[in-house]
Amino acid sequence: MNPKAMIIKKITKRTLGLILTMFILSVGVFYLARLAPGDPLQSFYGDAVESMTTQELDAARIRLGLDGPIYAQYTKWIGNASQGDFGLSLKYKTPTLDVVSPLIGNTLILGGTAYILVFVLATLLALFCAMNEDSLFDRIICKVGTAAYYIPPFWLGVVLVLIFSINLHWLPSSGAYDIGKSGDILNRIRHMILPLIVMILSHLWYYAYMIRNKLLDEVRKDYVLLAKSKGCTKTEIVFKHCFRNVAPTIVSIMAISIPHVLSGTYIAESVFNYPGIGALSVQSAKYHDYNLLMLVVLITGLLVISSSIIAQSINEVIDPRMKLTEVSAWREKTASSSS
Amino acid sequence: MAGKNSEQFVIVGANYKTHIPEAKKPSIMYRLKGKPIISIVILGIIVLGCVFAEQVYNHDPTGFYLQNLSEAPNSEFYFGTDSLGRDIFSMIWYGGRASIMIGLLSMTIITVIGVVYGCISGTANSRIDAIMMRVPEIINSIPILLLVLLLTSVMGTQNIMKISFVIGVTGWCALARIVRSEVRQIRSSEYVLAARCMGGGFLHTMLRHLIPNLVSTIMFVVVSSISSSMSMESTLSFLGLGLPVDVISWGSMLSLANKALLLNTWWVIIIPGVFLIITLVCITNIAYFFRRETNKQESIL
Repeated sequence: MNPKAMIIKKITKRTLGLILTMFILSVGVFYLARLAPGDPLQSFYGDAVESMTTQELDAARIRLGLDGPIYAQYTKWIGNASQGDFGLSLKYKTPTLDVVSPLIGNTLILGGTAYILVFVLATLLALFCAMNEDSLFDRIICKVGTAAYYIPPFWLGVVLVLIFSINLHWLPSSGAYDIGKSGDILNRIRHMILPLIVMILSHLWYYAYMIRNKLLDEVRKDYVLLAKSKGCTKTEIVFKHCFRNVAPTIVSIMAISIPHVLSGTYIAESVFNYPGIGALSVQSAKYHDYNLLMLVVLITGLLVISSSIIAQSINEVIDPRMKLTEVSAWREKTASSSS
Repeated sequence: MAGKNSEQFVIVGANYKTHIPEAKKPSIMYRLKGKPIISIVILGIIVLGCVFAEQVYNHDPTGFYLQNLSEAPNSEFYFGTDSLGRDIFSMIWYGGRASIMIGLLSMTIITVIGVVYGCISGTANSRIDAIMMRVPEIINSIPILLLVLLLTSVMGTQNIMKISFVIGVTGWCALARIVRSEVRQIRSSEYVLAARCMGGGFLHTMLRHLIPNLVSTIMFVVVSSISSSMSMESTLSFLGLGLPVDVISWGSMLSLANKALLLNTWWVIIIPGVFLIITLVCITNIAYFFRRETNKQESIL
């Protein structure tokens, strides 16, 4: 088969997988939300429900898409959803897409920055640790890393707010920008510092430790001996040979870590009241606003799955040794060893 | 050579019978070497303190001392009081019960679901296996936190059982995956085949042959799932979706953190958090002990 046809086949296969997964996810979430106790009408209209007549109630049900059996509701919902109508938010009384869309950008900026910083720093730290294996620094990093992984991120956030905004007055404690300064980039950066620190501190060690272990496995291979006997220096061997072999693993780890980093973003957002979809999801879960929560879940799922597909494709480009089957088998291996 | 017996042989060496090489008992220090003693001791103290909370605390953990709102640590209230006037020292020991209970319950749920699911998936034929392994993949495609949020929101007011159930139901995927890959390796070995040929059913094979072989591999995941469940509980409670404030646990104590920030009362935030983290780190340290030692080869660099 010529390579072009193969690429097209791969792309269609993955897109189909994506659509199928999203479909199953949406069915699951929809059923869960509809099975929930508590009348959605109650949360939409408040106490006004009790004074409504039966006809008014029926009309309201039809308006909110709550009439008929669940599968009929679902087909109706998915029909609307394909046209961009995900229903009304029960709390804000506006279309959910309007509530969510201004916030996605904020989350992506925060999450994306943290994601990149975490992996750049983790890789550097891992390289440094691997070059100085079993040195004092390396051992400290490993010990601290395993301990730091279990510090709940929200607690770290609260402690940082306590220290830096309440007692030292250095940094703002909440929000994405001060009122009336939405265009001021410096102001936005100042608001992002604390959430970023929380996310980096709670993710960095873990991934640095993982990459370090992969590097150390690589350092024990035979070709390192050959390179050494050729006269390459330590730095050259690690950067030119070992690191290149580990790079696909790092991309793989990055792909697996997306849900993990995203949930970190969500927690950081709710601690710092940062206007993003994470804080929104917590709010909507509190107020039983299932339409909104469903959309957030679907958006997150789409984000995670599509980025893992991208990571898979990048892996194949930078590492031609990988075939599709190998990648999946090997991703499984890394996933199981990492968890 | 028929009538050979012990009398025909001359025994050389006097007192050959009395000389029994002394069986040297390994010293206690030697036995404890490499084991996470410090973690076990600290965890033991915390767990015992929680179990015997009635003897340890000096105030009523559920009582409101309205004269002593948000009081800093002093000789009467060792760890101070929170914004509702409750004694934190007493609450720590009393609330630890709920937190540890949640950890253990969730671990049980995770282990049962993960092992059974993994065993079924591992022994099934490849088509069923492929379908079964899609489920954890889909669950993992959204952050666990979001899934837990959805479930807690659906289930209404929380109690210890409900929250353990939610955490357990969402947390078994990693374990199932490990169990499955392990089962795939041992399912075609002779003893499993023999057991099947002799008519052993799935349950028999799983309990007698698969699980004993899995224990060492999954021990790490199982033990560390206690700490991740406890961490998840505290996160949920902090976000206001976990246990309500009147059900005391380390998590629900931290749910007052936002109020404490406004009042600038550090002890309400730091003390329960430190207890939680010490417990989590100890459990994780013990879990690491179960993990098989790898990476022993010398570095060439």
